[in-house]
Amino acid sequence: MTYKCSRCKRDVQLDEYGGVRCPYCGHRVLLKERAPDVKEVDVV
Amino acid sequence: MELRVVDRTDNELRIEIAGENHTFMNVLKGSLLRTDGVAAATYDVNPEQSGGQTEPILSINTEAGVRPLDALEEAARGVSDQMGSLGAEIEAAFAAEP
Amino acid sequence: MTDQFDVSFVTREERSARLLIRGLTPATANGVRRAMIADVPTFSIDTVRFVENSSVMFDEMVGLRLGLVPLTTPLEDYEVGDTVTLALQKTGPGVAYSGDLETADDRVQPADDDIPIIELKEGQRLEFEADAVLDTGKEHAKHQGGVAVGYRHLQRVRVVGDRQEFDDPEPQIVRGVIETEDGDVVHTDEFDNDLRNRYPGKEVAVEDVPGAFVFHVESDGSLSVEELFVRAVDSLRDRADELAEAVAI
Repeated sequence: MTYKCSRCKRDVQLDEYGGVRCPYCGHRVLLKERAPDVKEVDVV
Repeated sequence: MELRVVDRTDNELRIEIAGENHTFMNVLKGSLLRTDGVAAATYDVNPEQSGGQTEPILSINTEAGVRPLDALEEAARGVSDQMGSLGAEIEAAFAAEP
Repeated sequence: MTDQFDVSFVTREERSARLLIRGLTPATANGVRRAMIADVPTFSIDTVRFVENSSVMFDEMVGLRLGLVPLTTPLEDYEVGDTVTLALQKTGPGVAYSGDLETADDRVQPADDDIPIIELKEGQRLEFEADAVLDTGKEHAKHQGGVAVGYRHLQRVRVVGDRQEFDDPEPQIVRGVIETEDGDVVHTDEFDNDLRNRYPGKEVAVEDVPGAFVFHVESDGSLSVEELFVRAVDSLRDRADELAEAVAI
């Protein structure tokens, strides 16, 4: 899972052990980034 | 356009014209009513009440000696001819107008 | 059937026209109107593949807006169901317009270049590839070529006498197109829809002219008014031919 730290703006990889915390600055607010794959949308 | 004869006697025809709606059916009905030998013509785009049937059913009654299918063919050809000349007139009008 | 049609223009503009057709039955007039709205196909964006969308709108919202952009449609070379690919790349700040769409076929392009899709702020980016598909208004309203298609009866105005001096000065409002006693065809806008302006001090009678219909057709730019009309009439004719063939067997 890729997130972005809301304070230091660095990309963060989270695993199931580390808890929700930025490993670089210790900030606890992480933002989930949009997935990089192409999304297909049907126009209805 | 899929046709299915529902009911047919010498002077009566009920035929389902699948895939059509008021756009064509009403024009066809109008043409049938002006066709010689047609006593009555109508269509019904059956509402849900009739068991979910929604394809239009055309009913034609003809006078003695006229086969309903012949009348239908004549009416369809009438619509075709009419639309042919209307299309030509419209094209001519647009060609004349710069 | 011995139908004699007579077609003439009342007004003509780039994307709209008023056409007077004589010799129509109400059924055919309505058939042609309905066919113009629902049975003449035009291109419209139907699937969008978003590579990047960091704008403030969801992909689906941008997609919906794209579907509503009218695309010019060369009907002679495409059949219903055919697709053409379009693409857009735009980085903010700035507005992404319909004119920014790039197309695989130059004949299929936005009818208007100045339709805003979305405003992008600094750092926002929109990039996608889209498939436009040719289909009819029956399938989805975005495929409608005619946006304002309707008709009115031609109305004949006759002077039946003089208005009495102390008669009620009530307005006599008429809308549409009238035919005067001299045979002139005049749109009621020209006299502010009030027959008192056209016939001051006169008593007039108004009646529908049988079989004469004034069509007002406005296109969204994907097709010309002529193409819209002719294709609608052709679609009715094709269906009549198909039925006649099927019944003849």
